[in-house]
Amino acid sequence: MQTIYTDVLVIGAGLAGERAAIEAAQAGNSTICLSIVPARRSHSSAAQGGMQAALGNSCMGDGDCPDVHFEDTVKGSDWGCDQEVARLFADRAPIEMRQLAHWGVPWNRVVPGKSNYFKGGQQFEKEEREDKAGLITSRAFGGTAKRRTCYVSDGTGHAVLFTVDNVCAQKGVEVHDKTEAIALIHDGETCFGAIARSLRTGELFAYIAKATMVASGGFGRIYPNTTNAVICDGSAHTAVLETGVVPMGNMEAVQFHPTGIVPTDILVTEGCRGDGGTLLDVNEERFMHKYEPEKAELASRDVVSRWMTHHMREGFGVKSAYGEHLWLDIRHLGEKHITGKLREVYEICTSFLGIDPIHQLIPVRPTQHYSMGGIRTDKDGAAYGLKGLFSAGEASCWDMHGFNRLGGNSLAETVVAGGIVGRKIVEYVEGTEVLFNSRIIDETAAAQKERIDSLVSGRNGKENVYKVRADMQNALHKGANIFRTEEGLQECVDSLQKVLERARTVGLRTNGIGANPELAAALKIEGQVKLALMIAYGALQRTESRGSHNREDYPARNDRDWLVRTLAYWKNTDDMLPTLEYEPATKTVEIPPGDRGYGKMAVISADDSEGKEG
Amino acid sequence: MSRLLKFNIFRYNPQDEASVPHMDEFVLEETDAMTLFIALNRIREEQDASLQFDFCCRAGICGACGMVINGRPGLACHTKTRDLPGEITLLPLPVFKLVGDLSVDTGTWFREMYNKTESWIHTNKVFDENALEERMDNDVAESIYELDRCIECGCCVSACGTARIREDFMGAVALNRIGRFLIDPRDQRTERDYYEIIGNDMGIFGCMGLLACEDVCPKHLPLQNQLGFLRRKMGITAIKTLFKG
Amino acid sequence: MSIDSGVLPGKSSRLDGLLDWMQMLSGAGLILFMWAHMLLVASVIVSPDWMNAIAHFFEATGMAQVGGPLIFLLFLTHFFLAARKLPFRLEGQKTIWSHAKMMRHGDTWLWIVQAVSAMIILLMGSIHMWVVLTDLPITAAKSAARIQGGFWFVFYMILLPLTELHVGIGFYRIGVKWGFITDDRRGMFKKRENFLTLAFIVIGFAALLRFMFLSIAQ
Ligand SMILES: Cc1cc2nc3c(=O)[nH]c(=O)nc-3n(C[C@H](O)[C@H](O)[C@H](O)COP(=O)(O)OP(=O)(O)OC[C@H]3O[C@@H](n4cnc5c(N)ncnc54)[C@H](O)[C@@H]3O)c2cc1C
Ligand code: HEM
Ligand code: HEM
Ligand code: SF4
Ligand code: F3S
Ligand code: FES
Repeated sequence: MQTIYTDVLVIGAGLAGERAAIEAAQAGNSTICLSIVPARRSHSSAAQGGMQAALGNSCMGDGDCPDVHFEDTVKGSDWGCDQEVARLFADRAPIEMRQLAHWGVPWNRVVPGKSNYFKGGQQFEKEEREDKAGLITSRAFGGTAKRRTCYVSDGTGHAVLFTVDNVCAQKGVEVHDKTEAIALIHDGETCFGAIARSLRTGELFAYIAKATMVASGGFGRIYPNTTNAVICDGSAHTAVLETGVVPMGNMEAVQFHPTGIVPTDILVTEGCRGDGGTLLDVNEERFMHKYEPEKAELASRDVVSRWMTHHMREGFGVKSAYGEHLWLDIRHLGEKHITGKLREVYEICTSFLGIDPIHQLIPVRPTQHYSMGGIRTDKDGAAYGLKGLFSAGEASCWDMHGFNRLGGNSLAETVVAGGIVGRKIVEYVEGTEVLFNSRIIDETAAAQKERIDSLVSGRNGKENVYKVRADMQNALHKGANIFRTEEGLQECVDSLQKVLERARTVGLRTNGIGANPELAAALKIEGQVKLALMIAYGALQRTESRGSHNREDYPARNDRDWLVRTLAYWKNTDDMLPTLEYEPATKTVEIPPGDRGYGKMAVISADDSEGKEG
Repeated sequence: MSRLLKFNIFRYNPQDEASVPHMDEFVLEETDAMTLFIALNRIREEQDASLQFDFCCRAGICGACGMVINGRPGLACHTKTRDLPGEITLLPLPVFKLVGDLSVDTGTWFREMYNKTESWIHTNKVFDENALEERMDNDVAESIYELDRCIECGCCVSACGTARIREDFMGAVALNRIGRFLIDPRDQRTERDYYEIIGNDMGIFGCMGLLACEDVCPKHLPLQNQLGFLRRKMGITAIKTLFKG
Repeated sequence: MSIDSGVLPGKSSRLDGLLDWMQMLSGAGLILFMWAHMLLVASVIVSPDWMNAIAHFFEATGMAQVGGPLIFLLFLTHFFLAARKLPFRLEGQKTIWSHAKMMRHGDTWLWIVQAVSAMIILLMGSIHMWVVLTDLPITAAKSAARIQGGFWFVFYMILLPLTELHVGIGFYRIGVKWGFITDDRRGMFKKRENFLTLAFIVIGFAALLRFMFLSIAQ
């Protein structure tokens, strides 16, 4: 096995990983990013809509500032976020957008003069200011008080990731693509790097680093219907949770996006609604304004998804061979707008659905989209539990999103957190002497070889990995979806435990030689089921509703007992359940829990005197 | 009654000494709205778990799934079986190094391309955190994005006869990349600088105008116009340098 | 990770740019010549006297004596320039053929037609020019005599369509390569070009027939 030494190892070459890698490389550290796919194919490139930063250049964003952005973020999180982190984020975001502009992102810019825009299906007029001409402009997104979402047509993530990867190439950041991390090297206190498997040859590599960062994105693929790419399967999370000492934060907080298309679950951007698109029911009538008079279609995602599901349950869904759905209507935006600013949407509709959105309605339903939970870190991005391990981006629970992230806040988080955490990593690498323990490296490598041998030889059993995976996905889909109940979650946990047992007896049907895809799937399946259990078990324990976590049996947000963050550990690899611990959601409180202004629900305030129930 | 689709798929695992390049046949019942993404995954999960291919976004935006579909390079994920005949032949993209079966190594090729084209903004301006962003005309921004839309799927390179007979030819994607920086006011490189990179037979003068790149590009980049523009621009630069010496 | 990604930008050669210009200009020059040539030869359709008059004009001004060899030079120059792009190694030829077969892509096939026709034109064109230029002056009668011999008729029946195809494709190719034809006009232009090629072949063929049935005794 080849051993590769580097100062900084970043697992993940999406926006978060590469942004941090730039900081590390700029400071003179040798830096390697690992990635399953070439960097630019990372899922960040799929983000269409845009990223939030309070620049306040467009007339509809006039008066915007980090304070307002911060407030929106905290409300969006349903007070589940760490307010210190949200503040850090909101303050830094505008600078980061300008940094990106400097590096080459072709942001759309303010064009002075009058123009029309749509809101709730109606047309209005606005006038952009002359003195802002040519500055970065913004569009509307859900759950925001101002138009704050910076964008590049509808390929924001694509354009930004290409730019950031260009800078990586310039600064000499190495990207080892088709290389998948499968285990962390650590001694229970410090992380020394990772063991990775080449997806070109199947060889194992030991990457030894002074600092290791996990920026591996989301893990939506443990659900059956998700907008996430097929590589967003949590493989790096499985490596982290196997350490037993690093907790996952708020795994029960899973976001469902209102507009995944039916049947392929590809996302059409929130920008559709931001630009004036509406949701229609089986009678082709709008309904969101009835539930949310103020924000209507543009309430936060958790709220819109919930009302959509509710509306379908009331019998207003459109029946189809793939289950019930609703309609997204962007016809009134006109051909120019749809083939221009929403071109990606246009292409998705025409090439995957065979539908022309200029004249036809788009079938949509809420679909798993984002994982608020992830590797728990402090505000510097340092993971709990292991020195030298960092995390940022969707993979992490830095926790500026709490129980619901706002559209456009994630992409912005990747670069803001990437920058901040990258600088912290530089400080760490400069200030720490790391002694590598070769015995631990050898042992970890041997254990991974052993694991592969058992899978190839079928020593532990002959269970079919794809069947196990499908059963895991279906269990989650059934029990840990938009609406949750004690009964459903308990059943979900029970069936996941059975799936876990089977996952431990998976064996290959093929020879496992080379970049064998079955082996890649088998290596992560046990860890994935553990992730699924963290979600289901965390959701079962949390007897309240907050943000995306909706307990029908506990409909109120309970700030008295549950203003806390779940920390889920998998202490021993043979355990059948995660160990849950809790910590206060936030130490700093700039905005005390209150009304979000949308998504009306009962609140048990912290002042209510009764003790913790259940 | 739905069709039975017959897939002829190229098979070879270079890591496996027992493996020789050959075609394998798989039969699959067509389902509603089936794409090659759905079909190939079903073949892998139900018939042969060792089948290698690459998908990532499965939404036509990441470029991972380029392969030769009935003779033409294209994105497998946004190819509907409905649009294909009952017999479907799948080959890996030529030009790129084979990883196995339908999977090729585009990453290495493209990294080398970034280095060749120096695919980043060249500027001596230093970023100032406290300053406003530099202004830019929205039309300029949009025309840059138009060229930035490339998803590096490699289809244009695989489809190009020139690239196939000349290993050192940079391909339409690299030339388009230069075009993207050429129109970006932030990049301070001069036409002479660009000429250093593409003003030769590895670059724009190597292109023979076969236009397969234009015809297969799944993102419909304006490659034909872009290549014409660059040839004129670089042609004029060549003459200018002749007189300036 | 076998390919080393040296930071070696494509080495710049000012020559390549100039050679490309010359390739295009030599091609364009030959196109112009072929049109003029067509005018000369096809005039026989109208009347042999016309052809004789035009030929005489070229003789008298010395354009045939000097221009002829110059055209031959241009012909060779163009060949050397364009041939840089042709795969002369067997492997390359196999690749491009199998590539074209796999792709079934019109413009790629056109290139193969161009390359193959080029080789034949090189040979036959040279012979033709040698024969005509060593037997000046040009008269309709001499031409008719050659063609009625039969051999030259067959010879031209091969050379004519190949030349016109090569010229037609070359014209189109210059247009797209230098961006004079933009993507939105490509289809239309190709259609017109095909029509033009066909028209030239028909006219050339008519001229050949005219030569064939021209009474030499005249
Ligand atoms: C369809 C879609 C649209 C979206 N639109 C928006 C939007 O408009 N605005 C917004 O703010 N957010 C949006 N989001 C969310 C946002 O795009 C993501 O949260 C964000 O891009 C994640 O970035 P990242 O850098 O954390 O991870 P990613 O970009 O997902 O990168 C993960 C990286 O980790 C690598 N990796 C993973 N596992 C391993 C492993 N085991 N070993 C080695 N490497 C590994 C991958 O190869 C990849 O390089 C959208 C998400 C989706 C799914
Ligand atoms: C009267 C005779 C000829 C005419 C009018 C002619 C014309 C042209 C034209 C206009 C082009 C396009 C130029 C370009 O793309 O830059 C061309 C290309 C070409 N010609 Fe000719 N040509 C003639 C003879 C030949 C001969 C004898 C050869 C011999 C090999 C030849 C080989 C080629 C080749 C290979 C190309 C393609 C080059 C490329 O695409 O870059 N041609 N020709
Ligand atoms: C200076 C050079 C040339 C001269 C003076 C010349 C002259 C002539 C003449 C006089 C004829 C009538 C037939 C005959 O006499 O045999 C003829 C026919 C022909 N020439 Fe040429 N020619 C020249 C170059 C070329 C070249 C370069 C080509 C193509 C590669 C070409 C292709 C033909 C063809 C195809 C015909 C017969 C078809 C027809 O009717 O148009 N000639 N040429
Ligand atoms: S230019 Fe088009 S075909 Fe070529 S790599 Fe880019 S997207 Fe693919
Ligand atoms: S196919 Fe190749 S030859 Fe030129 S026009 Fe496109 S790069
Ligand atoms: S899988 Fe991303 S383009 Fe096909």
